[in-house]
Amino acid sequence: MSNTRVGIIGIGQSAFRARRDDAGYPDLVREAVTLALSDARLELDDIEAVVYSLSPDSMVGIGNAERLGVDAVGARNKRFLRINTGGATGISSVAAAYYHIAAGACDVCMTAGADKVGECGDSQTVLNKIWDPTYERALPLGTITMLAMSAVRYAHKYGMLQEDMAAVVVKNREHAAKNPNAHLRKQVTIDEVMASRLISWPIKLFDCCPQSSGGGAIVLASEKYIKERNLDAVWITGLAHSTESYYLGDRMGVGFTADHADAHALGESFQRAYKMAGITDARKQVHVAELYAPFSNTEFHAIEAAGLAKPFETVPDLRAGRFSLGGDTPVNASGGTLCTNAIAVTAMIRVAEVALQVRGTAGGHQVKGARVGIASGNGGDHQFFGTMVIES
Amino acid sequence: MRLKNRTAVIGCALRMPTKPDAESLEELLFEVTQAALKDAGLTIDDIDGIVVASNDQMDGRAISVMAASGSVGGVGRDILSTPSAGEHAFVMGALRIASGQYRTQLIVSWSPTEADSQAEVERIGTDPYYHRRLPLDDLAAYALQATALAAKAPGVHEIALSIAGRHGANDQTSTGPAFRRWPLTHEMTPPPVTGAVALVLASEDFVAPRGGRVAWVRGMNWATETGFLGDRDLSTAPALETAARGAYEEAGVALPRDTIQVAEVSDPTPYQGLLALEALGLSGRHEWASDVKSGAFDFGDKLKINPSGGVRAANAVFCNGLIRIAEAANQVMGRAGGHQVAGVRTALAHAASGFAMQYQTVVVLGQDR
Repeated sequence: MSNTRVGIIGIGQSAFRARRDDAGYPDLVREAVTLALSDARLELDDIEAVVYSLSPDSMVGIGNAERLGVDAVGARNKRFLRINTGGATGISSVAAAYYHIAAGACDVCMTAGADKVGECGDSQTVLNKIWDPTYERALPLGTITMLAMSAVRYAHKYGMLQEDMAAVVVKNREHAAKNPNAHLRKQVTIDEVMASRLISWPIKLFDCCPQSSGGGAIVLASEKYIKERNLDAVWITGLAHSTESYYLGDRMGVGFTADHADAHALGESFQRAYKMAGITDARKQVHVAELYAPFSNTEFHAIEAAGLAKPFETVPDLRAGRFSLGGDTPVNASGGTLCTNAIAVTAMIRVAEVALQVRGTAGGHQVKGARVGIASGNGGDHQFFGTMVIES
Repeated sequence: MRLKNRTAVIGCALRMPTKPDAESLEELLFEVTQAALKDAGLTIDDIDGIVVASNDQMDGRAISVMAASGSVGGVGRDILSTPSAGEHAFVMGALRIASGQYRTQLIVSWSPTEADSQAEVERIGTDPYYHRRLPLDDLAAYALQATALAAKAPGVHEIALSIAGRHGANDQTSTGPAFRRWPLTHEMTPPPVTGAVALVLASEDFVAPRGGRVAWVRGMNWATETGFLGDRDLSTAPALETAARGAYEEAGVALPRDTIQVAEVSDPTPYQGLLALEALGLSGRHEWASDVKSGAFDFGDKLKINPSGGVRAANAVFCNGLIRIAEAANQVMGRAGGHQVAGVRTALAHAASGFAMQYQTVVVLGQDR
């Protein structure tokens, strides 16, 4: 086990929008970098290494677009590499930056990226290309249809109603209304969610995340660096990943390897991160959670995978307000992925929001007294799962 | 800065050139993974984490790492992916072991040749406003770099032609024009081949009770140039100089030409190979002509350059850099087969990716920790 503690000392995120016509792709990256450096009270020259956070190249229409981001993150002649685990990319990038420091390769490492999902044309057309061209691409699958099947299975297995899905939307929009960086901030009612346009049964328009444009950046540093400079920091005390199969067909039918209703590998990842952080009872020890859930139904199995509730309890607990601001364990106090999804950095924003919470600087959506928080990211076809425990 | 924990390469496997029509990508990745595990004397159950590198445009899949999760044994395991370069997967794996959180890592990368046009695949990687309309691809970028180098190092064309002739033509059947991109001839530019490479890395505490010959990572560093060619002096390789300086310092290598017995250098054309030799401190531009003429790096008794044949022997475009690392590791482990150099105690691997070698990585491997 590493004996180097790694802290988060700088956080930058855009105010996410549907379009950012005022800024090119590298400009959005630089915007987040500038904010993170300002938060950390550092200059670009202080950054020793950069982990670039970018999911599918095709979302920005440039192959290996990280090459064009080198100057935006000030990495010329520095250590630089890119991470991509699909939607989990952002949290995987924070993990990669963590390993730079924990390995002793450097004392200060920044991860940064941006996305222009709102300007890519049609993200579902791009995301259909993640599937195997011979078997599953032609169905046609998209991330919405993929997780609509998960919703159907979850509803069958655990009795979730469409109104329960709508309750997740209502909760997260209430949270997002308090977060100036969230993309969708308008509050909605269950009736409005139920009346919204059907996208892929049972998922309706308001059950879906938006296509967002914006950037994110986080500066990490070694304990030695932080203490020598008397910097404010919060600490990454647990981190892990786990993976499902590629083919969705392997999660369905007779002899499946994992049930598509659940988030099996997300649970594995959380257990590994908890073990590292010494968390034995998440329900009692975790004060705030930012769980990657791009569609309302997926928040239920994410909560279960995080050990914050047991199956069959999650839906009534959510309805009772246990996961709302003011409840026992607020989930997605920022509004979450459901209200903001700039894919390349979405999972990084989950980490950033937890860091802000345990630092006590989350603003209008601050969870009072939060000292221990968890974050997760899902990528690929509900395939790659990254998790993190962050403490004050 | 020296890493906190030592890492060793304990197994390697290469599959190239392969016949893509004869096996699927999944089969290729399964085979190369199993071969690397066998070389390391392990099974997939011994692997703590996996780092994969692939290129979406070459694969024709978005998030192309997804397709690998089953065939590399990733289900239920911790996978990261570094699409920036194959060699970055090695860097990431070594950092993960050095962090103390992992004892073993499996590193896998591949490079397919199924795209209709490799040049178009590469052109998509240019910025859409300035470079894309040139049009720019890897060969054009290498040619621009060759031209810039020739302006600063008169006589380099003759040296490059000499190297190309010595190492044999890779495309002798071509009836096309003499130059693919001036001044790059067919003989200087190997055609892409499908290839895959896998390495198994392990921590010191994992290696110690097992014994056997491994290749210790004694020094490792990586750096990048900016993305815009117009912002660079292409006749130099400052990022490689930075990468080499850091790797040598970590490895305690003061005189690389005297210390290293084998260097696997990325040489997609002779010009890039020469530029790399200089930045690595192995042969300055004033020495190129005499070193090439004397065959010092081919036949000398101190330092052998690219006993594998280098990129010009097999150009698996996206994973060439990781292949260089695997070849250097095999030399240290004494498992390079027919091109094994006797008595290799220290080997160097140089990996370069991106337009005109934007990303530069240097790894020093040795028998001694």
